[in-house]
Amino acid sequence: MRPCGVFDKSYGLDIAIIRTWQHWVILISALILLFLFPLFGSYYIISFMNYLAISVIVGLGLQIVSGYCGQISFGQAAFMAIGAYTSAVLTIKFGVSFWIALPLSGIMAGLVGIIGGAPSLRIKGMYLAMATIAIHFVVIWLILHMEITGSFKGLFPPPPSLGGFEFDTDERMFYIIMTVMVIMTYAARNLVRSKVGRAFVAIRDNDLAGEVMGVNLYYYKLLAFFVSCFYAGIAGSLWGHLITVVNSEQFTLMHALEYIGMLIIGGMGSIPGVFFGVLFIRILNELVMFTSPLLAKAVPWLGSSPAAALGLVAFGLALIIFLIFEPRGLAHRWEIFKASYRLYPFAY
Amino acid sequence: MIEFLQQAITGMMIGSLYALVAAAIVLVYKSTHVVSLAHGQLVAFGALFFWLFIGGLGLPFWVGIIPAFVLTALIGLLIERLTLRPLIGQPLIAAFLMTFAIFLVLEGVFVLYLKGETRTLPAFLPEGNMDISGISVPINQFIGFLAALFLFAALSLIFKYTKIGLGMRATAEDHRLAQGTGITVRNIFSYIWVLSAIVAVVAGIATANVMDIYYMLPYIGISGLIVAICGGLDSLLGALVVGLLLGVVENVGAAYLDPLVGGGVKDVAAYVVLLLVLLIRPYGLFGLVRIERI
Repeated sequence: MRPCGVFDKSYGLDIAIIRTWQHWVILISALILLFLFPLFGSYYIISFMNYLAISVIVGLGLQIVSGYCGQISFGQAAFMAIGAYTSAVLTIKFGVSFWIALPLSGIMAGLVGIIGGAPSLRIKGMYLAMATIAIHFVVIWLILHMEITGSFKGLFPPPPSLGGFEFDTDERMFYIIMTVMVIMTYAARNLVRSKVGRAFVAIRDNDLAGEVMGVNLYYYKLLAFFVSCFYAGIAGSLWGHLITVVNSEQFTLMHALEYIGMLIIGGMGSIPGVFFGVLFIRILNELVMFTSPLLAKAVPWLGSSPAAALGLVAFGLALIIFLIFEPRGLAHRWEIFKASYRLYPFAY
Repeated sequence: MIEFLQQAITGMMIGSLYALVAAAIVLVYKSTHVVSLAHGQLVAFGALFFWLFIGGLGLPFWVGIIPAFVLTALIGLLIERLTLRPLIGQPLIAAFLMTFAIFLVLEGVFVLYLKGETRTLPAFLPEGNMDISGISVPINQFIGFLAALFLFAALSLIFKYTKIGLGMRATAEDHRLAQGTGITVRNIFSYIWVLSAIVAVVAGIATANVMDIYYMLPYIGISGLIVAICGGLDSLLGALVVGLLLGVVENVGAAYLDPLVGGGVKDVAAYVVLLLVLLIRPYGLFGLVRIERI
């Protein structure tokens, strides 16, 4: 977002995230608004925003590995599960504090992600997507068949606490989740403008050409998987402590597909795209939730509770429409807006 | 030994279903280079239509099977015409994601129709078991198995000896060159989706013959995709061999490993096989190895 007449006079300015003092004002006031929000927001909106923020963290991870590095991954839900279970096991069985378990669960998911990303060294594209589906099922199967994860019953992690203060309601968790989300968003934005981010993009655009140019494919592909799964693990840990129950039903293949769908709708290879995609899908879902009882009343054929199935249809149709008419996603619209803002008030 | 053989034969009967689904996926991939996740739904809808006409309306087998074919072929045709054709020229991964979107839509419709119930096909094949030197084989499954083999033979012959098959092979090689020799590539795409939908219906009927029609049925498409990838996406022979093998591995693995790990081997065996094959032979056991250039 640059107004007309602002030029990049140095490399530092060229890659800067925030360019003008107006941006600082907007950013800081937006952050203040965000953190004051629980004072006047309703409970429903706040828990919905918690859900959104956790989805954003998962989506950011997926954006790094799929959108920037070009390795389509359907395994994000499984890595989220690893994060959630690691954090739950650490806090329940070993009495570790949440504040240590949170980064540890991210690292754990990241390490498993490196193993999960290993097939990417030999295969790519659709083959890799299928391999990640396989990894998803293997991980979930292992979780269901291990003693420590509580099998089908799942685990019940306690809400986090800090110096006697319990973060046991959605309003209180809101602060933790939003802080983590803001940090993670900045980290992702920072990563993709660095040397590492450029290496990812080179791999996505043409891995052979990238390798010839001196990009170490193995290192960067595995790094992309590590970072992506780290994000998923952090999100999983937050999720587990937010709703204080973790079981395998929360991490199905359908959830992983949802995250890929968010990326398609938001736009591959764009950090704001994650936010657009998450907002679009979650709001679409809420709309279906609200309208389906009315629809069920109007059209008796649909049965008594068509919400889940109608949600699938709406989600699938949205994907089809975006793939045909807007393959670059909502982020593309945002780019067009930015380009015209850059020229304003001139036509070109 | 007899027990092992018994498990293997039972697995092979299930494996022939996987092989059929995989064949439908291979057909589409061979000429359009689209990898389809949506075929599980074609299988499920084929079975559902068949149930509608046989179980619902009570038509005899040979009358009921025709509208099932026609309707499912229509779905296949619509998928190709409405969603995949606008994507020609886009990256292949877009088409893959498109089939996944189609999977979601059809899954929604399927669940809406079933409303959590199950449908069971009336027995339309002879019941009972055959006994081959101590190994018992259900006759209706054996007929399904034979039908699968017959279909594979027919498909290979179509590809090898008919004019349309020649056009399909040429299209698979290079769309532009094929167009240059007077093949209407767009029509070939439509034919291939119809053909593949027909194979999917056969797979659906054979599957519904063994188990109920319920909301998990479309997920046989994922097993089919695994088989197609392990066998090599462009190889019909690979689909047949790996399909049968996977059935055997699942069943034998479940019989011998379940007591050791506490059950559930059947759910995960296919995925482990897929990971191993992808790590050792990324283009599948029978697939063409493609060499990439910048």
